[in-house]
Amino acid sequence: MTQDDLTIADPKMKAHGVNVFYGEKQAINDVSIDVGTDLVTAFIGPSGCGKSTFLRSLNRMNDTVASARVTGRIELDGEDIYAPSMDVVQLRARVGMVFQKPNPFPKSIYDNVGYGPRIHGLAPNKADLDVIVERALIRAGLWDEVKDRLAESGTALSGGQQQRLCIARAIAVDPEVILMDEPCSALDPIATAKIEELIHELRGKYAIVIVTHNMQQAARVSQRTAFFHLGTLVEYGKTTDIFTNPKQERTKDYITGRYG
Amino acid sequence: MNRQTAPTDWKGAAMQKRIAGRYAAERRFKLMGLGAVLLSGAFLAFLLFVMVGNGARGFLYTQVAVPIDFKAMPLTIDPARLGDDDADQLIANAGLSDIVAFAAEEALGSGGSDLISENAWKEVRSAIKADPELLNGRTMFELPASSDVDIAAKDGAKGALGAEVAALEKDGKLSTGIHWPFFRNADATDPAVAGIWGALKGSVLTIFIAFLIAFPTGVLAALYLEEYAAKNRWTDLIEVSINNLAAVPSIIFGLLALAVFINWFGLCQASPLVGGLTLALMTMPVIVIASRNAIKSVPPSIRDAALGVGASPVQVVFHHVLPLALPGILTGTIIGMARALGETAPLLLVGMRAFIGDVPGGICSPATVLPMQIFLWSDEVDRGFVEKTSAAIIVLLIVLLSMNAFAIYLRNKFEKRW
Amino acid sequence: MTFNAAALLLLIAGLALIGWLAGRARSSLLAGRAGEKLHSRPQYHGWYVALWLFAPAALFLAVWSSVSPALVTNQVLAADAAQSLPAFGFERGAILSDARNVAEGRQAAVRLPAAAPLVKPYADASQKYALIGIAAMLALALAGGLYAFTRIKPDFRARTRVEKIVMLFLLLASLVAILTTFGIVLSLLFESIRFFRLVSPAELLFGTEWAPTSGAPQPDTFGGIPLFWGTILIGAIIAMIVAIPIGMMTAVYLTQYAAPTVRKWVKPCLEILAGVPTVVYGYFAALTVAPALREFAVMLGIPNASTESALAAGIVMGVMIIPFVSSMADDSINAVPQAMRDGSLALGATPNETIRQVLIPAALPGVMGGILLAVSRAIGETMIVVMAAGLSANMTANPFASVTTVTAQIVKLLTGDQEFDSAKTLAAFALGLVLFIVTLLLNIVALRIVKKYREAYE
Repeated sequence: MTQDDLTIADPKMKAHGVNVFYGEKQAINDVSIDVGTDLVTAFIGPSGCGKSTFLRSLNRMNDTVASARVTGRIELDGEDIYAPSMDVVQLRARVGMVFQKPNPFPKSIYDNVGYGPRIHGLAPNKADLDVIVERALIRAGLWDEVKDRLAESGTALSGGQQQRLCIARAIAVDPEVILMDEPCSALDPIATAKIEELIHELRGKYAIVIVTHNMQQAARVSQRTAFFHLGTLVEYGKTTDIFTNPKQERTKDYITGRYG
Repeated sequence: MNRQTAPTDWKGAAMQKRIAGRYAAERRFKLMGLGAVLLSGAFLAFLLFVMVGNGARGFLYTQVAVPIDFKAMPLTIDPARLGDDDADQLIANAGLSDIVAFAAEEALGSGGSDLISENAWKEVRSAIKADPELLNGRTMFELPASSDVDIAAKDGAKGALGAEVAALEKDGKLSTGIHWPFFRNADATDPAVAGIWGALKGSVLTIFIAFLIAFPTGVLAALYLEEYAAKNRWTDLIEVSINNLAAVPSIIFGLLALAVFINWFGLCQASPLVGGLTLALMTMPVIVIASRNAIKSVPPSIRDAALGVGASPVQVVFHHVLPLALPGILTGTIIGMARALGETAPLLLVGMRAFIGDVPGGICSPATVLPMQIFLWSDEVDRGFVEKTSAAIIVLLIVLLSMNAFAIYLRNKFEKRW
Repeated sequence: MTFNAAALLLLIAGLALIGWLAGRARSSLLAGRAGEKLHSRPQYHGWYVALWLFAPAALFLAVWSSVSPALVTNQVLAADAAQSLPAFGFERGAILSDARNVAEGRQAAVRLPAAAPLVKPYADASQKYALIGIAAMLALALAGGLYAFTRIKPDFRARTRVEKIVMLFLLLASLVAILTTFGIVLSLLFESIRFFRLVSPAELLFGTEWAPTSGAPQPDTFGGIPLFWGTILIGAIIAMIVAIPIGMMTAVYLTQYAAPTVRKWVKPCLEILAGVPTVVYGYFAALTVAPALREFAVMLGIPNASTESALAAGIVMGVMIIPFVSSMADDSINAVPQAMRDGSLALGATPNETIRQVLIPAALPGVMGGILLAVSRAIGETMIVVMAAGLSANMTANPFASVTTVTAQIVKLLTGDQEFDSAKTLAAFALGLVLFIVTLLLNIVALRIVKKYREAYE
């Protein structure tokens, strides 16, 4: 890995020497990476390569797995997120997450989006909450489709709409980083296109990390790409460089479809 | 950064205070959960504690040492007939009870016959039947004390009785031993000789009948529903019936049994046969549901493989599916049987609550079951029965717990993840 | 000679074994002689013969052993010696059973003098019917066996036949459930209709006075409202107030917070709690809880405090239901996809916010179904209320007072010494019908909710 590709002026998150274990098994091996503030970073690699595991350690979602253990250092704005002083509730509010399968709560659309602001006390009153919900839905590109049926259940929406609702739900807490774990893998091509479009629009407002097994998608939406293989970070650099001029043989093999 | 509003101030005092509050709520909630678990555990512990505390004493009984000299007071009976069926009757007619009462008066002073149980002579009778040589000499018998003396000796009592008991104790004439009649006898009105053997045998017979009917029927029904039944209205009706029967109150099965088995068919009332039939109907749905789950967990690939080598559908099921599902089926059956063994309500209605002083001889003779014995004793006024009730509960719980433990063991041992 | 069903069953089982061996041997022999290949393997021919031999005879045995005692009794009653028997009631039955016991060798001598002349008619009659029965059974067994035996040929499809018979057994077994349901419905309906000829359904359902054992001057009244109220107070109110919060919180703690080892130990404990027989709970309620509550109530100065309080029965019943509620809630919460929980935690919700605002609402249909099943179980529970709730039909909201329930009254009405056709015994069946209908509705609704809920997340 060459150092010059890693030069990011203002890294939002920095990972250094991260290892993740599930019980005895090591899932991530000594990964160091910086996530840029205004950039979309894509993690690519064959299934089981650890990209999702690494993503989930960025907002400590691995804590919910009893056997998981993380070593190394991950910083958010220079603060160690695994430090005892770090509050995991705040961390997750600041580092939002969108999952592989859309997982709206079985509540109304309004309550889905309003859930985060409510629990964090971001809206002192109903009017404020209305504003936050509307703004989040607008940002997620869903407002026009749902503004007349905010009281309907979030689970009644189509798959693509559900996923955008989940993005709106994450945005509503006003996070600094949004982690997306293969957000389009359960969606059809049209819905996928809409989500990709949305990622373009959100770029610059949030630091975005997206895990995808779809290389075209990584090429379309991201500015930085990291290639994972067997739990290690093989190559990390500008997306254009990775796709046109990979430095590692394994990266080249993967991108040209030799395995994966 | 083109944020529309200022970023949330996570470090601000208000936010920190709010988060502290949320964590406090979290701790409270978790404590409530722990409290609920502890409360359930405490109920269980308290229940077991009360039962064991009361019941442990029920296994022991106070005995009074009384010498009986059969040379001085001969029992006129032909020793050759002691092996006959009606030996009990003969000994009773020969006046053994008077001899024992007299011996007690002699050994313990006037009123001494009230200190031993009025049924104490029956223990002497059993001893004589076991060893006719006793009739030729003087023997020291440890006779069961009367219920009042027993309680006075265990709890300590004031007044005249207390003084008498204390005097007996001082003379070394009282001893406490395991209450064998409790394990040997059937019900009686006198706690000194009342036992659970009759009820236990009744339970075994009843459960045996229930198992004999419910197990094959339940397993076959489950096989039919899971492997062969076409999806149609009849099958749906069967399924709905089974699911509902599993949740119908047990007393309804008692009403059914009373109306059908006793009043229409005229089967022997209060017998293990009717009780077993009733419990079989009640347990069958449980067995069907457990068996279906076990059969469902056998992967289809096994059926495909067997069909692929030319086995007929019946062969597939009986050679492959059933053996693989058997541990699960047995687990469910044992749990169902344990439940039937603890059941009382439906048996109340088929007459099994009558006082049965004999150990049941067969499946058609009047019998009672262990839970029913507990119920009957719990109504007794005599204080001696309080600890007998708890002792019987301990026996019942031990039986049930070992059945359940065995079921859990089976489940853990044979549980397969396909 | 007496009719011993178990011995006879063994006898035909033995015959069936012989049939099995004979069938198997004959099919091999025929195949060898004809040089043809058997369609079915020899043991299937054996099974075919054995089944034909066993099944009709066993069926006859079952029918005969249930009808022959009645036939015997009829013949005895026709005898001259029986004419002097008391007309009805307990004594008549006792004399008859005494005579029967002696005749069948279960006891050496009669205990009641009146039974002595009946011994001989009894012995004669039972011998006669035993002989008839045994002869008929053997004839059936032999006929069935011979029929099957003569059909054995190398190309005879014995396996198909045997499998058809097996399938028939499977079908019959599954019909037992329907038969039982019909049996319950018909027997309850039949007796209830007889009751409703004496007492109008409206009185049972809406009457407020329950006094079936009142003295002679007043007529018996069968107003069910006090019973229904007592049942609801104990089973649906007090028991649920205990069971729902504790059961739910237990499930939440075990599924969301407890370490695996804690879970491993607590769950069997809950299963023990669920496996304790109801009579033990009843005894516990009557012996320990009820007196303690009464003293507590007296200390508080509450009027009408009774040792047979609704509260004691309700609390103990609630404890009994805890494992049931907790396991239903456990299942429902576990059925909520992990993604819901992750989604909420990823927004920065604390576990308790996630549980209360996401998991429980998502699990609510399943939990509601479980609670309905729990209510149905509580209102049908008998022993606890029989032992601890008492029998006075009070309409009171005072939990320290004594109330009675439908199940307690059913037991009371049927365990007295009334003859079977009196309004009192019939009333028990009418109450049973009401109980059956209510629990059936609760169960159907609950099972449907639970099923829908499971499907929603599958």
